[in-house]
Amino acid sequence: MSETAPLPIVSARGLRKRFGKAEILHGLDFDIPPGRIYGLVGHNGAGKTTTLNALLGLTSYEGTVRVLGQDPYQKRASLMENVAFISDVASLPRFLRVRELFALVSNIHPKFDQARARSFLEGTDVKMDARIKNLSKGMIAQLHLAVVMAIDAKLLVLDEPTLGLDITYRKRFYRRLLEDYMTEERTLLITTHQVDEIEFMLSDIMFMREGELVLHMQMETVSTRYAQVLVDPANVAAARALGPIYAETRFGQTAMVFDGVDRDKLEPFGAVSTPTLSDLFVALMQRTPGAGERQ
Amino acid sequence: MKAMVALIKREYLEHRGAFLYAPLGLLAIFTLAVASALVLNKVRLPFEVGVPSALKLYELGLAFSAALWFVYLMVALFFYYADAFSADRRNNSMFFWKSMPVSDFKVLSSKMLAGMTIFPALIFLAVLATGVVLYLHTMLALAVMPRLAVPGVFEVIATSFRLGLFILVYMGLAVLWYAPYFAWVGALSTVFRRWSIPLAFLIPALVGLLEKLFLPDNGPGAGYFLSFVRQRADFSLDHSDLELAFFSEAPANIGLLLQSLLARIDWPQMAAGLIFAALAVYAASEYRRRVIST
Repeated sequence: MSETAPLPIVSARGLRKRFGKAEILHGLDFDIPPGRIYGLVGHNGAGKTTTLNALLGLTSYEGTVRVLGQDPYQKRASLMENVAFISDVASLPRFLRVRELFALVSNIHPKFDQARARSFLEGTDVKMDARIKNLSKGMIAQLHLAVVMAIDAKLLVLDEPTLGLDITYRKRFYRRLLEDYMTEERTLLITTHQVDEIEFMLSDIMFMREGELVLHMQMETVSTRYAQVLVDPANVAAARALGPIYAETRFGQTAMVFDGVDRDKLEPFGAVSTPTLSDLFVALMQRTPGAGERQ
Repeated sequence: MKAMVALIKREYLEHRGAFLYAPLGLLAIFTLAVASALVLNKVRLPFEVGVPSALKLYELGLAFSAALWFVYLMVALFFYYADAFSADRRNNSMFFWKSMPVSDFKVLSSKMLAGMTIFPALIFLAVLATGVVLYLHTMLALAVMPRLAVPGVFEVIATSFRLGLFILVYMGLAVLWYAPYFAWVGALSTVFRRWSIPLAFLIPALVGLLEKLFLPDNGPGAGYFLSFVRQRADFSLDHSDLELAFFSEAPANIGLLLQSLLARIDWPQMAAGLIFAALAVYAASEYRRRVIST
């Protein structure tokens, strides 16, 4: 009996978005299978949030998008029964108390488990009688995360969920997400500028540049396809001959990033490692023909 | 239905300041002001036009306070709709509400319905509370105006019930009658936010001006459009019926007042107004669905 690939949670074909005459997304094609943790990374203005907004039915678009088999722009309300998202940490209604928020969401969202949300807040400084407007930014982020984690959703989308939070809150945020929420049935799509902080949890990565996907692959493939070499000064010319996609000289050492070059060929030039996502991001965003060296 | 009730409750929680706390504050001020006036003997009644019975005084007081509360309700509702339809953008919670499995039409409908149900109900309760306060004032007045006849508790309850019934029906019908105006300012608020308040008046004025400029001037003085808007804004009772009910010694004939009210309502206009209101809410929800700027 042959195994069939699971239906993708998200499918986009020819996804385009224009604001007036300016085209922001240039025909994206991608699938996101279930049970994966996707990182979507790009510069400001690369089109990440517009892409997420299209997937969440928050904006119109050209092309075909299906989320859980539904057109998100036409079916946003019903889709939200199985999709949870945080688009802005400060987006909780500020006039409510925490217990009022939980009561409200439990009456509106059929898949919200209030007891679960309360349990997520245990051990935090967020009290049930607190007014949201009086909570700190970090506490609001914890509260919002408790709300979305208490929703039994198939897809969770986080758009810069830890923006403006200190390192302690950010670490706690991702740890709870991974430990208390993720299961094989759930899919997580996350954008952040602090890409190094989420690298450990990602199964797949997408890089965007100026409305296009420049990278879309599994993290295992990243480590086999890309290599970073700290090239000994005597070997720079020889290493450059292998066509690095990026090279940078720092404190007298030259680091080069190679795409699809056998590691056996690279080892004679210096220490070979897998580039971190931030190194790879910089390499792919700034790649130029001939791998121009930056000082 | 459960979600709609929850959304209406959300409106209550967000706007209870205008419909619960402010009326309670006004009532407290009124209570203290009248009580101190009575105690300090600063009340001057026009006894030369006849000494009213304490019950009639109570009835007049309740009717007059109901009229004031009604004006308060209409003004508060106008500002409520001008605010509520764009409140999610203002306090940056639009993304949160968009993450809930409710359509934009349902969210805006809940705002429309909150203004036509729970908030008038709160003001109606304020009217009834004013009745209780007035009764206490009437009792206090006996101490300083011994010529007043003592009203019995059951008479007061019966009067409150009859008058309360009329006020309830009047408020309910008035809110339905003015629904298109409220939906109009609400829909404008969805697009123009706080500018909806001047625009709600400015746009009809411009339409009236354009009518004057481009259509033959053989209609009513203000033009067909503005005359219609003005006539449509009128939900008053017949003055002679009011005088008959309240400016006589006998208790107000509520049956006659209700009959007069129902007879004066232009029911096709009422239905057309409600259809306009529904369309305005739908148009606003479609705008909200398409534009997510926060």
